[in-house]
Formats: sequence, structure tokens, C-alpha cells
Amino acid sequence: MAEKRTRSISGRLMMMNILVSGIALLLACAGFFTYDQITFRQSLVRTLSAQAQIIASNSVSAILFNDPQAATTTLSALKSFSNISSAGILRSDGKPLAQYSAAGQKPLVTLPQLPKGGGEAHWFGTKHLLLIRQIVSQGKSIGLVYLRADLHEINQRLKRYATITISVLLISLLAALLVSGAFRKSVAQPIVQLANTAQEVSREKDYSVRASTIADNEEVRVLVTSFNQMLQEIQQRDSELQQAHDKLEQRVSDRTRELVSANKELEAFSYSVSHDLRGPLDAINGFAYLMLKQYSANLDPQGRNLIEQIRSGGKRMTELIDDLLNLSRITSSVMHSAKVDLSTIARSIMEELCRTAPERKVQFTTSENEEAFGDPHLLQIVMENLLRNSWKYTSHHQEAHIEFGHTRAEGKTVFFVKDDGSGFDPRWADRLFHPFQRLHSSVEFPGNGIGLATVRRIIQRHGGEVWAQGEIEKGATFYFTLNLPDKNV
Amino acid sequence: MFLLFLSSLVASAQGPATESQVKAAYLYNFGKFVTWPAVRANSDSFGICVLGKNPFGNVLESTVAGESMGGKKIAVKKISNVQEAAASCSVLFISSSEERRLDAILAAAQHMNLLTVSDIHDFADRGGVIGLVSEGDRIRFEVNLNAAGRCHLTLSSELLKVAVRVIGTVPGS
Ligand SMILES: Nc1ncnc2c1ncn2[C@@H]1O[C@H](COP(=O)(O)OP(=O)(O)OP(=O)(O)O)[C@@H](O)[C@H]1O
Ligand SMILES: [Mg+2]
Repeated sequence: MAEKRTRSISGRLMMMNILVSGIALLLACAGFFTYDQITFRQSLVRTLSAQAQIIASNSVSAILFNDPQAATTTLSALKSFSNISSAGILRSDGKPLAQYSAAGQKPLVTLPQLPKGGGEAHWFGTKHLLLIRQIVSQGKSIGLVYLRADLHEINQRLKRYATITISVLLISLLAALLVSGAFRKSVAQPIVQLANTAQEVSREKDYSVRASTIADNEEVRVLVTSFNQMLQEIQQRDSELQQAHDKLEQRVSDRTRELVSANKELEAFSYSVSHDLRGPLDAINGFAYLMLKQYSANLDPQGRNLIEQIRSGGKRMTELIDDLLNLSRITSSVMHSAKVDLSTIARSIMEELCRTAPERKVQFTTSENEEAFGDPHLLQIVMENLLRNSWKYTSHHQEAHIEFGHTRAEGKTVFFVKDDGSGFDPRWADRLFHPFQRLHSSVEFPGNGIGLATVRRIIQRHGGEVWAQGEIEKGATFYFTLNLPDKNV
Repeated sequence: MFLLFLSSLVASAQGPATESQVKAAYLYNFGKFVTWPAVRANSDSFGICVLGKNPFGNVLESTVAGESMGGKKIAVKKISNVQEAAASCSVLFISSSEERRLDAILAAAQHMNLLTVSDIHDFADRGGVIGLVSEGDRIRFEVNLNAAGRCHLTLSSELLKVAVRVIGTVPGS
């Protein structure tokens, strides 16, 4: 069936040729045959009628004077007509006066009745034509003559026609084959070649091939030419695209190299800065401490206060430097990936937080067996930062809920930490992840603003994303995805 | 198609016809194959006359009743003298009762262009135009063409075809 539907154009053309010529021929033959049959039958009836007429007029005296011999003589003239199989002259009382039958034929026993008022009638049978005619004398019917002609000739003719039709059909079939062969060359062949070329192009992805334009058919030539033009265009665009792509690749790799070295330099720089800053800072802190210990008696309260200020500022600076160092360490440390149970981590962090402030009413829920694949130590840091934030930013509320779990979006697992604390202005949701960017004052909530920056670094190293949703006084939700290839699954 | 046996095609035959019935029919039918000279053709009826003792009874009348010949009504007449035939007869049947006067009758008939028919023995040989003869149980007839020629009658070849015997030849052939 499928084969039938996808038959080639040349095959279809051939089928069409054969079908059209075959149908035309059959119709023509049928028409001609019908016409011939009709005229042949008509002429047969005419001849038979003429013969009947002659016999009728020649047998009047034989009937009137009851002379079977004369009637028989009249009928015997029919011998020269081979197609007449039997004939007879009947008296008006229906008794046969004379009968004639050709060799091997029997005279008729029964006759159909003449229609009323009809002087003559004929009937076509499968093998015979029967004609009956009244014999009239002085306007009165005195008897009947019947003639029965063999239709052998008609059947012979039919056979001859069938033979001619079939042989002409075969010849025209052959002619159609030849013609469609020529057609195939001029129409189908170029199209077939075009199809082959198109197939080759799509298989090899080689746009440099061209279809042959030799076709003596205008439409096909236009088709082939425009196909070739199309190929040319595609080829050109393809090479342009390739060039652009190559250039882009080159540029990206250049940039990446630059960026990597710049990043390395920056990291090395910030590390060394933080590290080198610690020496002088330790000196400031140490001497301020010594001053307060040994010389506090010599100072008035105002002086003591100033030294306290120096000390707390120094302490704060130490913290900041430590955070910076931590951050750059996280960025550059080597990762060891493993399966990590985030639920367990979250639960242990929350237990510890609760121990530090047992008076707070915080309800914590976590879904079980939240498994992830990543560096266990770094993921611990992520969970700690997010949960600590939630713990911190719900502290102004009497009661609080903190939840850890996951949803799915676009086929990926998205983990989240959700609370109903102070929330934040959603306009600045992106800023939270920059170092030292805080949306709350340190009077309100203490902190350095380095936690979420750390979280983002870690998540990025895991090929994931992190983002925040929140509204002032309506809590905040932090989402993150992890995208390390999980070798265990 | 409605078929019926040949023998019952027309159910008019009421037993075999009698001899006089056949002869009566012949008398009438002969007229169909004979052409009379113009003088006779002018009369307004076609007369069949029986001369002498009538052997038909009224069979002849019933046979020709309602029939016509060439558009003319057929009239049957019984006459006792051949001269009576002059006016209105075309066919003259000479009864066997007139055998003794035959030659005279035939001579008279000749001038009147009568088609003479008789069942007198050897009628045709003796100068009559058509002589009826019995052949077994069939009635047939002999024709004397010379006699017909003398009476200026033309007999159709159709008629000659069914005659048992034709005496003489067609004039001019
Ligand atoms: N759960 C939260 N609810 C509301 N605001 C939050 C929440 N988590 C973080 N924030 C906002 O994001 C800012 C940055 O958070 P981040 O954790 O980086 O700093 P921090 O918590 O202030 O200090 P630390 O460095 O000690 O973590 C916070 O100052 C706070 O304004
Ligand atoms: Mg924090």
C-alpha cells in the first residue's frame, strides 16, 4: 500500500498514459462496436424482410391453390443464403404449407404471434433472428411466411472485434510505454535527478553539489535552476555563518582566557590584600588591648571609651577580612562531590540554633530524604547561611515558621528555604547576593552581608542558580538548584 | 413472448373443405391472377357466372360473400345461356351439364373475353382456359394459354406456377 502511494512520478506518468489511452480506446471500440452491431442488425432485418416479402408475393398462388410443391420450390431459393437456417410458409389456418431448413437445422415448431395489425415483426434471440410476415392477397391475410436467420455472423463479428480491440490495446500499451519512456527522459528524469540531489544534500549536508539543468521542459528547468540558486544561497550563508561562528569562538576563548587570568589575579590580589591587612590590623588590635589593660588607670572615661571604639572597629575589620578570605577560599578550593542528604543537614543546623535560644518559638519543618549531589562541606555552608538568615530575620516575630523542601520547575529539582519573618523589598531581590549588600541595618539585624554572596558562589560552582522572593513583613523564600552530573544515578 | 402451435395459429378451419367449397374458392381466386382487356375492366362489378346446372348449391355465394376483386364487388350469377354472360361476367364456370354444347359456348365466350373454367374432362385440351382436375383428394387445374390468348386474357406466371399442366405458350415469348 505504502509502496503504491509513493510510486515515482515516471511510474505515475506511465500509468496515466496507459490508463488514458486504454480507456479512450475501449470507449471508441465500444462505441464503434455498438454502432456496427446496430447497423448490422438493421441491415440484417432489412434483408430478411426483403426476402420474406419476395417469398410472400411468390407464394400467394401456392397458398390459394393449396400447392405445397410450388411453395417448396419458392422456399428452396433460400438455399443460396447460408445465413437462413429455416423458413416456412403457413396457411391462414396455421398449418404449414411448406417448410425449409438448412442442412443440420430443424424447422420451427412454435412461432410467436404477430402483433395485432402488424404485417411484419422480428425477434432477436441469442443465436437467431426470427422474422414473420403476413401473406396478403386482395387486402386479406391468407397466410404467414417466417424466416429464421443465424446470428452466427454477428457473433463472429463480435469475436473479431474483441480480437482487434485486444490487439490494438496491446499495441497502444506498448506505444504508451514507449511514449512514457520518452516522457521520463524529458520530465521525470530531471525531477528524479533533482530528488536525488536534494536527498544527497540533506544526507551529506554538502551544499556545493548542483542539480543538472539539462531538461527540455521549461517548468522543470525553472525548478532545477531555482533549486540550484537556493543551494547557492544556503552554501553562502552556511559559510558566512561558519565564519561568524569561528570568529565568535575565537573571541570567546580569548575573553575567557583574559577573564580567567584577570580573575586569578583578582583573587590573588584580594587574598594577599586581606592577608597583608591582617598584620597591621593585629598590631592595632594588640596595642589597643595592651593600652586598655596597662594604661586604663591613666585615662579618663572619655579616653577609655575612644580606645574601646578602636578595639571594636578593629574587631569588626578582622571579621570582615576573615569573611573575605573565606569567600576567596570557597571560590578556589577543590571540590569533592558526593551524595548529600540535605534534610539531615538542615535538621542538625536547626537543632543547634534552637539550643542557642531555647526561649524562641520557631516551628521548623523539613521534607525527608532531600538528596543532592555536590560537595558536602560547601553544601553545608549553603544550608547554614540560608537557615541562619531565616532564623535571624524571624527573630523580631513572636512565633515563626521555617521550612525546607523542594518543588519541581522545568523538569528540575528546586530546593527552597522559606520563612515568615521580616522579608525584604522585592525590588532589591538581586542585590542580596552581592558581597556586603544588606537590606537591613546592622542595628536592626547584625551581620556583614557576606552570607548570600558565599551561597551564590557555591551554587554557581555546582552549576546551579539561586534566587530570592520576598515582601516586607511577609517573609522570604530562597530557591536554589544544583546541576552537577550525578554519577551514582 | 407469446408462442402458439402452428396448427392452432388461426382457428378458422372447420373440418376439411368439401370439393365444391374448394372449387368455389378457386373460381374466386383465379380472378386474382388474370388480367382482362380494358373493355371488361370498365364494368362496376366482378361477375362470376355459372352456366348450366349449378353444382355449388349456395356454396359459391357464401364463399365470395363480402369479398371484392380489384375494388369491385363480386356478383354471382346463374345463367342458362352463354349470351347472358356478355353483360356482367368475368369468370364463366361451365357446368358439366353443358358438355354437349361446349364448342359453341367456348366460341361465344372467346368474343366476350371470359375466363372459362370447368371441371369437364379435358376441358383445357378442348379449348377452355382453365380446366379443373382431381388429383387424389386434391383439386388442381390445367391451363390452356392458347385459349387464354384467344380470349385476350393475360395469366400471371404465379398462376402458371401452380398449374398441373400448361398447354401452349405465352404469346410473344
Ligand atoms: N531570611 C531573610 N529574610 C529577610 N531578609 C533576608 C533574609 N536573608 C537575607 N536577608 C537580607 O539579605 C541581606 C544579605 O544577607 P547575608 O546573609 O548576605 O548577610 P547578613 O545575614 O546580613 O550577614 P552575614 O554575613 O552574617 O550572613 C541581609 O542583610 C538581609 O537584609
Ligand atoms: Mg547571613
